[in-house]
Amino acid sequence: MAERPRLKLPKEAKKGEVIEIKTLLPHVMETGQRKDKDGNTIPRKIINKFACEFNGKPVFAVDLEPAVAANPYIQFHAKVEESGTFKFSWTDDDGTVTTAEESISVS
Amino acid sequence: MTRGKLLAGGAAAALFMVVIFVIAGGPGAKAQAKKEVPLETGGDASVRPWKRYAGWPARDESKWSTLGHQSSPPPPNAPRKLAGPITGDAANGARLVADRDRGGSCLACHVMGPAGGVNLPGNVGPDLSEIGTAGREDEYLFNYIFDPRVYNPETVMPPWGGHGLFNDLEINDMVAFLKTLKSPAPFKTELDNPEKRPAPVETRENLDPIENPGMWAVDKAQELWKQSGAAGKSCQSCHANAGAEFKSWAASMPKWEPRLDKVLGVEEFVTRHAKATTGADWLMETDENRAMSIYLHYLANGTAIHVDTESAASKAAIERGKALANRKVGELNFACTDCHGKVANRWIRGQWLGEPKGQIDHFPTWRTSLLAIWDIRQRFQWCQVNIRADELPPDAKEYGDLELYLAALNEGQKLSVPGIRH
Repeated sequence: MAERPRLKLPKEAKKGEVIEIKTLLPHVMETGQRKDKDGNTIPRKIINKFACEFNGKPVFAVDLEPAVAANPYIQFHAKVEESGTFKFSWTDDDGTVTTAEESISVS
Repeated sequence: MTRGKLLAGGAAAALFMVVIFVIAGGPGAKAQAKKEVPLETGGDASVRPWKRYAGWPARDESKWSTLGHQSSPPPPNAPRKLAGPITGDAANGARLVADRDRGGSCLACHVMGPAGGVNLPGNVGPDLSEIGTAGREDEYLFNYIFDPRVYNPETVMPPWGGHGLFNDLEINDMVAFLKTLKSPAPFKTELDNPEKRPAPVETRENLDPIENPGMWAVDKAQELWKQSGAAGKSCQSCHANAGAEFKSWAASMPKWEPRLDKVLGVEEFVTRHAKATTGADWLMETDENRAMSIYLHYLANGTAIHVDTESAASKAAIERGKALANRKVGELNFACTDCHGKVANRWIRGQWLGEPKGQIDHFPTWRTSLLAIWDIRQRFQWCQVNIRADELPPDAKEYGDLELYLAALNEGQKLSVPGIRH
């Protein structure tokens, strides 16, 4: 069963407010540095990119490296001026992109 | 005082209910009794032969008592006599007291001057930093390490020599080291001093799925809930409104089950009930079983633990559980009540020994150090492997008795599952 991303951000905010956004994607973040018990390298499999956009405009993006621990937890802030939808995406080494979105109403 | 009043009130309420039950229990009451919950009563609820978890120590401790059988040798009757004064190698003794490969090292329980670099010693036993000035005889020190039960039958200290963890020459070296200890331990920081180290407090939000990956099992279980088993039915088929139906159930578990002649916890209940109804094969300690247990406990979060302590069968099980909690097991010869009773609320090395109360309300719990969910039975198993005793299979009847006893001691504690712990 693919694990779903976890998001935590307010449902409502005041215009111009700086809100806190917490994101987490369950993922092994296999570094590619480890060997299995037969001595073979366990292939690298990490989330290499995370991005967040709001109403189509980029808000935050980060390239992740193998040193990031399993289940990458990314927390950041954004200033909201209007109601809309945050879209989040996590890009896996194997090309899979996991997405999630959350709406916020701004008054 | 408030607690005393509350307890008294609870007892009165329980008595009142018994009276009503007796009045109502006239002829025909049996015929109206609720239909028995379907349970698969055949076979075992966990893998047989039981195989220890991957990554756990593979030591064979079959020689020593477990919660299933008693086989450890009895304590000696008298101290061993020494041929003469001890001439040991104090430097080797200093190394041995800090050796963590033989059951934890002396520093786990004692502050011992400069030994082990004074790195997080415990305070289960007395500070021995000035034992060299106490005027103890060699024979006393030797026997206290070899098997302290000759001087103190109530001791929690392992019989290091009697159970073969250290030989006579090694004990001589440790005695030689003890005699060099004449000044207080040079703690590098206040945290190294177990008397000053603050008790740990768990402040993480265990019900926040961003903080606690154990919460993901709640989602997984809700999917399993709707999945049809081999019999073509799912949990949902009979329990469409799980939230209302199970809002207190888990807090009443474990429970005596006459058809199996043992106490069932939530996990074994799930295995046997699913087998008998949907046909799902959810043995204990599988991911599915752990997820279902977390979910069923989660639905009862906030409910005070209240297990049956009144029926004759429950009373008998609790008595057995109490006896098991007091049984010395394993090569280190510990009883549950040694660490979590006699010396509770102290440090064993860097680990805090908690009281029984508060030890069950967060299970199954997420283990951040292991990235895994542990149910209470796995926790029992680890306690045993850790003190060098063989564990029993998770569905062992002894664990049922012990779990009921522990739950009874936790009466009134509110469930908060999944917990989050190191």
